Amino acid sequence: MAVSKRSMKWIPWLLILPVVIIRGFTTLYPILVTVKNSFFDIKILAGVDEFVGLANYVNVFKDAKVQTSVIFTVMFVVVSMFFHILLGVALAMILNMKFKGRRFLRTIVLIPWAMPTVVAGMAAKWAFNNDYGLINDFVRRFFSDFQFNWLIHTGSARAAVIAVDLWKDLPFFAILVLSGLQFISEDIYEAARVDGANGIQCFTRITLPLIAQNVLTLCIPFTLWRLTSFDLVYAMTSGGPGEDTALIAYRITTEAFTNLNVGYAATLAVMLFLVMALFSFINMRFISKISD
Amino acid sequence: MRKKLVSLLLAVAMTAGMLAGCGSGSGGSGSGSGEGAGESGGSGGEYDLTLYSINTTDPDFDTWLSDVEEATGLNINVIAAPTDSDTRQQKITTILSTGDASVDIIEINDEMSSAFKNSGWLEGLNDTVMTDDIVDSFAKGYVENMITDKDGNIIGVPGYTGYLAFWVNQEIMDEVGITSIDTKEDFLKYMEAVSGDGRYGYGGSWEKTYVFNEIAQFVNMFGGDYFDWTKEENKEAIQFLYDMVQNGQTPIDEIADKYEQMNPKANDGKYGSWFMWGLGTDYESAGMLGEDKIHMAMVPSFTEDGSRYVFTDSWNYVLNSASKNKDAAIKFLQYMADEGGMKASYECFDRYPARTDVAEKIVPDSDPAKEMYSRYATECTVSGRPMLPQTMEFITDMGTIFQSCMQGDLSVDDFCTQAQELVDKYSE
Repeated sequence: MAVSKRSMKWIPWLLILPVVIIRGFTTLYPILVTVKNSFFDIKILAGVDEFVGLANYVNVFKDAKVQTSVIFTVMFVVVSMFFHILLGVALAMILNMKFKGRRFLRTIVLIPWAMPTVVAGMAAKWAFNNDYGLINDFVRRFFSDFQFNWLIHTGSARAAVIAVDLWKDLPFFAILVLSGLQFISEDIYEAARVDGANGIQCFTRITLPLIAQNVLTLCIPFTLWRLTSFDLVYAMTSGGPGEDTALIAYRITTEAFTNLNVGYAATLAVMLFLVMALFSFINMRFISKISD
Repeated sequence: MRKKLVSLLLAVAMTAGMLAGCGSGSGGSGSGSGEGAGESGGSGGEYDLTLYSINTTDPDFDTWLSDVEEATGLNINVIAAPTDSDTRQQKITTILSTGDASVDIIEINDEMSSAFKNSGWLEGLNDTVMTDDIVDSFAKGYVENMITDKDGNIIGVPGYTGYLAFWVNQEIMDEVGITSIDTKEDFLKYMEAVSGDGRYGYGGSWEKTYVFNEIAQFVNMFGGDYFDWTKEENKEAIQFLYDMVQNGQTPIDEIADKYEQMNPKANDGKYGSWFMWGLGTDYESAGMLGEDKIHMAMVPSFTEDGSRYVFTDSWNYVLNSASKNKDAAIKFLQYMADEGGMKASYECFDRYPARTDVAEKIVPDSDPAKEMYSRYATECTVSGRPMLPQTMEFITDMGTIFQSCMQGDLSVDDFCTQAQELVDKYSE
């Protein structure tokens, strides 16, 4: 019987084979080809396809456009994630309060998140328009002479992109934090209040520690999504003014699909992949330390 | 044991099913790479050729197709090209660069013409379609600049003629008492008279991928050469645009604007003049098109010799070198280069005929574009836009440094130096 069991060990492998084949074909193969392409200079329009070793990797560090993209990507990720956490937790706390219309509010806050990013980006392009945009229209209700085109100055264009990103994805983050909040038993707060804890103490000593792991876990996908985000700037600013709002994923997309510089785009993609893997590794180590 | 056997059988069945699903080809002729949803065409199963078209979303496309099929006797399979420009270019580049023979005729724009014309992917049409007897009826500058390869082969048939026309707001002209903008002095007078209180003499679409049209237009108007930034005339043109920004005659805000942002401003009377492609559909929709409102005007002459310059653009029908249906494809192209094909395009798609002789014949005098288009064709130097094979990279990089220059982050001299470096880089 024991021999028979051993001989059946291949059955699980056989059962997962279809999934492995599909995964291999749709994920592993593209990754391997991308890594391979990153060592080649492939310019489809110029008909160039030659092995260049590490030249593409070296060129990345000399490319002013990439440097601008990296700077804005870091800014975008850090600022956006900071406000995701800050405002996301605050919004989750509000949504966790007991008040009339809570269910309705929980539903409508998700509307921006449900909107396709490209649509949100196109709408935002108009919203920030000096002549026709709703942002300036609102401001002019208080300052009638206000004139400012948000998308033509580096600082304001970057702020606008981050603001739209927050407007769109913050509610989803908050809803996920809310799910963590709902696991905290009311008894703990009651016990704390009996011991004389005030609202701030309850928040810092009970709420925050208990949702910290949840928030940190959420930070992994939300940060990775920010790192790979390209559609918002594609629709909203086309990376402008100049290249100042071109996120690194937008630069990769442009190199790969507009300029058709496949080799260079692959190099950028591999480097981004490594950064993302490193970030995930550090974050997971951090989470496991907290849980210990 | 029985459960395991059943599981095993199910897994095998599922794998077989998936493999069968992956392998199930259409079996039909025509469109190896075609997306089923995007295909239409003749009723028969056998097609004479496959056309990769950008016009399938036009409500009159079926009428046009019937007309072409009837006139040529061809049964045409149509594949809808993606509406997104990047996706479209990727797909067409992939089809042509891989020698994919499933598409015979493709419609490509000027950007793609510039990129592909010397690649060997497109068939020369000098002896078969763009023959000596008709080629002179097309805009010479356009044919030379855009669709002729380095060996002199003409690789496309222009599907229409569009001009980067000079548009003015007649209500504003009447208000400031200026009757014509014929010279640089007239233009400057108009700028000064119109600009102020949130209104500008000139409006543009200076988003980084759009602005090269206007840079090149002004460089031409000053008698410069877009590919030679050592010329003083080029510098004058950029300085002129920069001064207009500084003097409040054109808004710096327009560096974020594409045409969809520029046209509403034009309709709202914020701009006194501007350059724009097409026949003014946006102005017509807003009820602003007309001789007493917004209309085309002759391009002013900025040089002492009175030269006038205008750019033309088109989408060209090209023949895939890998095509296995070349006879049918040539028959199709001959029809598109002929009066019948141009008439069908004009009637169904409002595409102004690319041949001047055909335009004279089939466009009625009541068409508001006819007079000005005829004058552009005869009084101006008509040329294709200056593009290089790495088209979009070149366009974007030029747009980026232009925006920096207009914002004062880059001097005009530095702009010219960097522009020349870009020309050299992308000409290699």
